[in-house]
Amino acid sequence: MRKYFYIFKTELMSNLNYVFNVLFSFIGYFIHILVFFYLWSYIYSDSSQVINGYSKSQMIWYVIITEVIWSVLAGRSFCRKISEDVKSGNITYNLNKPYSYIGYLLSSKMGEMSISFVLYFIGAIILGLIFLGSLPSINIIQFIIVLLSCILACIISAFLIIIIGLFAFYIEDTGPFYWVYSKVILIFGTIFPIEFFPGILKNILSYSPIYVVSYGPAKLFVNFSYIESIKILIAQVIYIIITYLLCLLIYKKGEKRLNVNGG
Amino acid sequence: MSIIEVKKLKKEFKVKLKEKGFKGTIKSIIKPKYKKIKAVNDVSFSVEKGEMIAFIGPNGAGKSTTIKMLTGILHNDSGSIKVMDLDPKKDRKQLAYEIGCVFGQKEQLWTHLTPYDNFKFFGAVYDIPETVVEKKINELKELFELDSFIDTPVRNLSLGQRIRCEIVASLIHEPKILFLDEPTIGLDPVVKDNIRKLIKRMNKEYKTTIFLTSHDVSDIEKLCKRVIIINKGKVVLDDSMENLKYHYLNKKILDCKCKEEVNLSGEEGINIIKNKGVNLKIEVDTNKKSISDALKLLNPDNIIDINISNVPLEEIISNIYNDGE
Repeated sequence: MRKYFYIFKTELMSNLNYVFNVLFSFIGYFIHILVFFYLWSYIYSDSSQVINGYSKSQMIWYVIITEVIWSVLAGRSFCRKISEDVKSGNITYNLNKPYSYIGYLLSSKMGEMSISFVLYFIGAIILGLIFLGSLPSINIIQFIIVLLSCILACIISAFLIIIIGLFAFYIEDTGPFYWVYSKVILIFGTIFPIEFFPGILKNILSYSPIYVVSYGPAKLFVNFSYIESIKILIAQVIYIIITYLLCLLIYKKGEKRLNVNGG
Repeated sequence: MSIIEVKKLKKEFKVKLKEKGFKGTIKSIIKPKYKKIKAVNDVSFSVEKGEMIAFIGPNGAGKSTTIKMLTGILHNDSGSIKVMDLDPKKDRKQLAYEIGCVFGQKEQLWTHLTPYDNFKFFGAVYDIPETVVEKKINELKELFELDSFIDTPVRNLSLGQRIRCEIVASLIHEPKILFLDEPTIGLDPVVKDNIRKLIKRMNKEYKTTIFLTSHDVSDIEKLCKRVIIINKGKVVLDDSMENLKYHYLNKKILDCKCKEEVNLSGEEGINIIKNKGVNLKIEVDTNKKSISDALKLLNPDNIIDINISNVPLEEIISNIYNDGE
């Protein structure tokens, strides 16, 4: 375990050089939130109105949290990096080290994410306070549970993206898969809470990864309940196990197909 | 006891065949045809502990493929590999603790961090206790003379400094075998020489077995006692450097300055390389004509100055490569 912690730590140290990049990318996040703030302000004719169980302020806090998880992940470059590693044969330099490649990917991704996670979270809370004036009613223990749930959501998302990236063992370009994934998450996970979708779709979504990678933590933040939080945390643990096993399966099968020419 | 034992190693690659042009491209999408290429075809050799061995061959000969199979990255189709009594295919992780790799064309260091942080990282990856790592870093720092830049981020190092760090990084876990894939590529002669000295010193100090590939003949000449040449997936030569240099071609170069012109054309066993009046350069095949006979032909009284040398190793090797064509 120590080596994975070290991978995490080393990646974290290495990424401290990019703090300013994170601050700049926060501008993009800010614009997104601004758009949604005005959009929902327009839709909610008066601020006491409730749509599908969400008040205006809860709705906007929901988007603030889901957008944080999504932005912090920076999935596109992560996915591209894995695919490139597989295709170019760079993966070989990870294969002759005594660690598991999946473990390496996850711990280095966590190291990379942790800086932007902290900065984005602080920035997002400040942003929300400026726009909305107050936090949802949540105490410190509940807030810690929400944070934990956000971290688990990041781990599951990372595994999902590793799965897509590892498709490169079998196909030339993983870009389209990632594109579909990102759009699904955007529409069903980031912008609208699951309650906004019609019957069957709502049921499907509440068993899908979307429930654990974005809806869960955001819902907890805007409307905390201990029963809901236990449900979400258990679901997240189950999803971590499933996605990890899937990564492992694809990797083990793919590794045998590996062709590395030249160099 | 041999530390690497390779028997009848084979590896085939499937390569997609494509006819030329647009039509060919469409065809290859609808009905792909594959060609099998024997990258490594029946290779056998063994390496003793503490040996420095050169594993060379032209581009595409199967060198890298062989190294990748030895380190467990690629899986062989048939034949057997034993590296330190382990099968790289099955025990890759276990083997990783015993071997180190340096690839001159790739970097494995974290570019934003200092060499010191990098070494600590590699120490942790190989499960070495903190205190042992510190000691090892200090030891290697001395040996590889890293003192002046051990706290400079890797991205600010020169290529020569970086390669030194790459080598040290792969030595932190005291590997028994070190695979060096073109470690001196792109370096200037002084730095090259320096790196060679360091590799030699390391081999002496730690008895590390070194498996070297390089296109730079002087790397091989200066470091290795034994050389394996591979071409088109087959071993074409496995011999000591001495034998290769002095006996393989049985040829000597005579470079002489004479008082008067000598006409040697048509003599058996003598090949005139350069003839500029009194300056003469000939190649003597000692199987057909002894050096003394050649000297007699030149007439000792006629010679002002003479230089007898071996055919450059570079030429010998390219001859061997061409024989395989």
